[in-house]
Amino acid sequence: MPGHKHEKQEVSDNVKVVVRCRPLNQREKMTGFKQAVTVDEIRGTITVNKFETAQEPPKTFTFDTVFGPESKQLDVYNLTARPIVDSVLEGYNGTIFAYGQTGTGKTFTMEGVRAVPELRGIIPNSFAHIFGHIAKAEGDTRFLVRVSYLEIYNEEVRDLLGKDQMQRLEVKERPDIGVYIKDLTSYAANNADDMDRIMTVGHKNRSVGATNMNEHSSRSHAIFTVTIEYSEKGLDGNQHVRMGKLHLVDLAGSERQGKTGATGQRLKEATKINLSLSTLGNVISALVDGKSTHVPYRNSKLTRLLQDSLGGNSKTMMCANIGPADYNYDETISTLRYANRAKNIKNKARINEDPKDALLRQFQKEIEDLRKKLEEGEEISGSEGSGSEEMDEGDDEAGEPGEGRRRRKGLRFVTKMAIRFDSQIKKKVSPDKMVEMQAKIEEERKALEAKLDMEEEERNKARAELEKREKDLIKAQQEHQLLLEKLSTLEKKVIVGGVDLLAKAEEQEKLLEESNNELEERRRRAEQLRKELEEKEQERLDIEEKYTSLQEEAQGKTKKLKKVWTMLMAAKSEVSKIILETAGIIAVIKTGLETFKATIGKWSLKCLEAELSRIYSINNHEEKKGACLC
Amino acid sequence: MASFSSNEWKAVCAKFTNAQQLSDVESRTDPENDPFRSKYKARELLTEIYCSLKNFEAGDGEEHDDGETSEPEPTEEPLDGEKPVDLDAFSRGWSSDSRAGLRAARLAAVEYYLGVNHVDTEELSAGQEHLMNCMKHLGKCRVSSENVSLFIHVRNQLGILWAGRDETEKSQGFLETAESIYQRYMKENGSPPTDMTEYFCSEENQLTHQERTKKFELAYTHTLYYLAQVYQYFGENERAANYCYSTLQRQLQLNQFNPMEWALNAATLSQYYITKGQYMEGRHCLAAATVISGLAGEVPSEAERDRREQLKQKRSEIARCWIKYCLNLLRDAKKLLEDNIGELDTDRQDELRRARRREEEEEGRKQALLFGSEDTFDSIASVEEKVILGILIRKACFLYLSASLSVIHPKAKEHFQMDGFVTDHIEILQDHSALFRALAFFEEDVERRCKMHKRRVDMLEPICNDLNSQYYLLIRRQLMFELAETYNEMMDLKLTLANRQEDSQSLDNHTIKKFNHLCSASAKYFQMFLDSLCSPEGKIPEHLEEDVLRPALVARFRVARLHSKLISSSPPVQLDNLNKALENYKYVVQYCEAHPEAAAAAETELELSKEMVGLLPLKINRLKARMATNN
Repeated sequence: MPGHKHEKQEVSDNVKVVVRCRPLNQREKMTGFKQAVTVDEIRGTITVNKFETAQEPPKTFTFDTVFGPESKQLDVYNLTARPIVDSVLEGYNGTIFAYGQTGTGKTFTMEGVRAVPELRGIIPNSFAHIFGHIAKAEGDTRFLVRVSYLEIYNEEVRDLLGKDQMQRLEVKERPDIGVYIKDLTSYAANNADDMDRIMTVGHKNRSVGATNMNEHSSRSHAIFTVTIEYSEKGLDGNQHVRMGKLHLVDLAGSERQGKTGATGQRLKEATKINLSLSTLGNVISALVDGKSTHVPYRNSKLTRLLQDSLGGNSKTMMCANIGPADYNYDETISTLRYANRAKNIKNKARINEDPKDALLRQFQKEIEDLRKKLEEGEEISGSEGSGSEEMDEGDDEAGEPGEGRRRRKGLRFVTKMAIRFDSQIKKKVSPDKMVEMQAKIEEERKALEAKLDMEEEERNKARAELEKREKDLIKAQQEHQLLLEKLSTLEKKVIVGGVDLLAKAEEQEKLLEESNNELEERRRRAEQLRKELEEKEQERLDIEEKYTSLQEEAQGKTKKLKKVWTMLMAAKSEVSKIILETAGIIAVIKTGLETFKATIGKWSLKCLEAELSRIYSINNHEEKKGACLC
Repeated sequence: MASFSSNEWKAVCAKFTNAQQLSDVESRTDPENDPFRSKYKARELLTEIYCSLKNFEAGDGEEHDDGETSEPEPTEEPLDGEKPVDLDAFSRGWSSDSRAGLRAARLAAVEYYLGVNHVDTEELSAGQEHLMNCMKHLGKCRVSSENVSLFIHVRNQLGILWAGRDETEKSQGFLETAESIYQRYMKENGSPPTDMTEYFCSEENQLTHQERTKKFELAYTHTLYYLAQVYQYFGENERAANYCYSTLQRQLQLNQFNPMEWALNAATLSQYYITKGQYMEGRHCLAAATVISGLAGEVPSEAERDRREQLKQKRSEIARCWIKYCLNLLRDAKKLLEDNIGELDTDRQDELRRARRREEEEEGRKQALLFGSEDTFDSIASVEEKVILGILIRKACFLYLSASLSVIHPKAKEHFQMDGFVTDHIEILQDHSALFRALAFFEEDVERRCKMHKRRVDMLEPICNDLNSQYYLLIRRQLMFELAETYNEMMDLKLTLANRQEDSQSLDNHTIKKFNHLCSASAKYFQMFLDSLCSPEGKIPEHLEEDVLRPALVARFRVARLHSKLISSSPPVQLDNLNKALENYKYVVQYCEAHPEAAAAAETELELSKEMVGLLPLKINRLKARMATNN
């Protein structure tokens, strides 16, 4: 298998949590409930508003992926379950949980509407996915797909595919196969339709046992397990077997359980105090810190059964379902809180290291010595002691525990079983050997007959022995036959990769594939959108920044303007004052001018007079002169 | 005009009995779609009783008829809260043998039952109203043996009610008042008080003193139990634990317990005390758990398989709590006694032991809180005594612990067998191994210490190899790491031993062989641990998860060191080992260079590795040179 696929292991193994919010249903719309939940698929956030108390700020939660009311079943599958199923097909264990209050669409998410391909849920889609994968696999890969279906109700485990529905099963654990349910029925499935049928049988049984189906299903956990084993020829030419398990878990409704029925209203405020002294144990164990202590009875059947899914060696996805309406506020918040906590489920099994300060210190000293020796250029022998030749030989006392582990690790797989049967048959009673044995028996009988003198008793004994051996031989032959039969029935169950077993599943797989591609496209678009959004936001920020700076500037300008304005006004008033003053001056000047003019007039008159008189006098004089002359 | 002997009164009593029956017994079988049918019926009856009660005595010409408002009653209480300590009730109000007092008590009782009824049917506000009315009626009365029981009961109910509404402070107020009323009543009066049910039954049906005490004490036990939860809610864990302790103690004294359940609870509580370092309390709880679990009887025969399994499981659980006690005690002791290089400081040990003994003897037994009813007290004390002796006497400490280990472990493992309970079984083994590790610290004899580690290996090695990695990867990693460390430890001890024995001489062949065996076993398990981190194709991960980061780096470092420790006289083998060592040191250095955040996780190891990366090539070159000349 190409190596790149396995880099997944390096991805954090934390539980992946997604949240899905269903749309308001007809009844809720009719009643006029408000949508209290806002889903932002791009940012991966869910915001819940509380309308009753307006002053309370809305609560926001962030998850790996969130799905709004408009989300499509196929998208949910491709974004959440597909990677898990892919790793199961590679031999990992995977678990998908659906969690949430009753009536928030858990079952729709897990199962959906079977008849409509687009509305099928995670379970039918994973069937199609698995068999699609098988159909595409190389010809020499062999698969065995088995399913089992069980229910946990009141800490009792019931086999939903079993013949006796009254039987209660035990949860057990074995070093080689981990946690298992004793006597749990499992069926081999050859195609997606088989699986569908098996699931339907289980569903029927689930409702048969209960008086009140709704009530029952909301209080019981159902686990549908698909085990996929496959073998393929490795580079070394040997068959390599891998096994992956997929648990599909429909958890009981998360609503706090009061005694609720048609008459009593739903108990909104569950009692915070345990009333009965019989729960004293719970109170006490809540006080105890789990580290380095033992708390009896902490594990429920469910956690035990899924112990390697939660914080263990498994890929786990949890889908929390919530309702959008405001009257679900409390439950929605508690579901989201739970989901938030689930994000942080981590492996509790840590390596407890022995603190070795002394060792480190000693080592420091050793390094010091080494350095000194090297500096001094002294002869260094590789060994501190003077060991003799044979000492460095590997030690046979050590044993090879690793070998045993690998042997045990071998996954149970039919082809492998078949191989084992084969070898068993060979080992036990290979045909050659049988002939040989027969010959030997014959020989011994002859020898026996030859020894006629042998005592009767002894002979009888020997004969008995011989007969027994003969019987053994027959038994072995029978066994051989039986094993061969078993082998052939098992081989029938094995599905060889590439065989066209799709029929209907093919369509679904195609649908899935298509939608996956489409999804890819959309994801790219969403990514682009997100980027654009970010850019826009950045731009907006920039503009805002600019705007603020402009505003500041404007403010500054306004201030300046005001200042200038006042200055202007002052100047103006000064101007008008000056104008007034000037007008006065002008008037004064004017009057001055008038008087001046008058004066000038007067003066010019006077001058004229004087001139005239002078002229006159001259004239007179002239006249006189003239007279004189004349 | 009815008197208490009249037929009318008898009818009231009959109604009351009927209501009780409906509410307590028949309600359990109400159908799912009408879950409160009987409760509603009971409510009707109670309401009728209330009406007739009022008529009765109003007709009797009481001066305090139904006009409550006109009464010169004690100060009005706040409507929905409780004053922190309201003990006025002991000195003020009507005395209960007065007519008015009796009437008020009866009315209060009916209100109480109505309140509880409403709470049961999830109508909290109505319930609250009735309960507060009950408080109001009681407010007029003085506390006495006739009504003290009701005083406590109503406060318990109000405590529950407010806790349900997330108003835990209010809840605390009511419950704490109930507590102080009880204490004061027991101090000042102490006679077995009348139960509320007795208000409504004829003279001949009155309860005996014993029954009265039982009912009254049970109510108070509940008060304590609720308080434990309230304190827990406020995060006052120590107080909560002490109230749990008191609850258990009272259950035992009043003989109101199921032995196995009680024993498990006590054992669980011990786990709280040991994490707080209160070993005396923890030990006491455990001793009590052991004794009381014995009261559950002998393990039944195969016939009752379920019961037999359960009993076995519970006893195993208690045994596991004991293991944790021993383990924590030893670890804490180790921490105290460790000198700066992680060896036992014997002077310190003596000193602490003396101090501890004084403490145990002088103060320990004064402790007020001791479990025990008359018949169990002695046996609890004797179980404890054995433990104390075991721990106090030097040397005997190990003897005791190893002896008890041999008792406890099979007990713990009896139920949790490998087949069927793999995880639990391994946990027990891991604890067992951890106990040996802690014990080894106290052991002065190196040879014996080595044997202790050998036992750890013997315990863990087989399961480690049996487990399927696909399901037990994490447990296997833990086991591999522990095995590697244990072998490493043994190797160090062997070396110390060898050096001590023949200081001047070189090591003999046998020792070297042994040493190399331990060394390579340790390296092998470290390597297995490292391999478990790889992908199925055997690719080393480029990035180590946070929870394996340090272990992985440490394992690399240790593998490197172990390789350079291997003793060999053949130069090519030496060269090979040195190269392997260098490779691993380099890995540590390179990983930390590529992931700078990793350096903090293994600071010292990184520093040392860097030095070695500098020094080892020199050493290797020398070796090569020498090999060349020898050839």
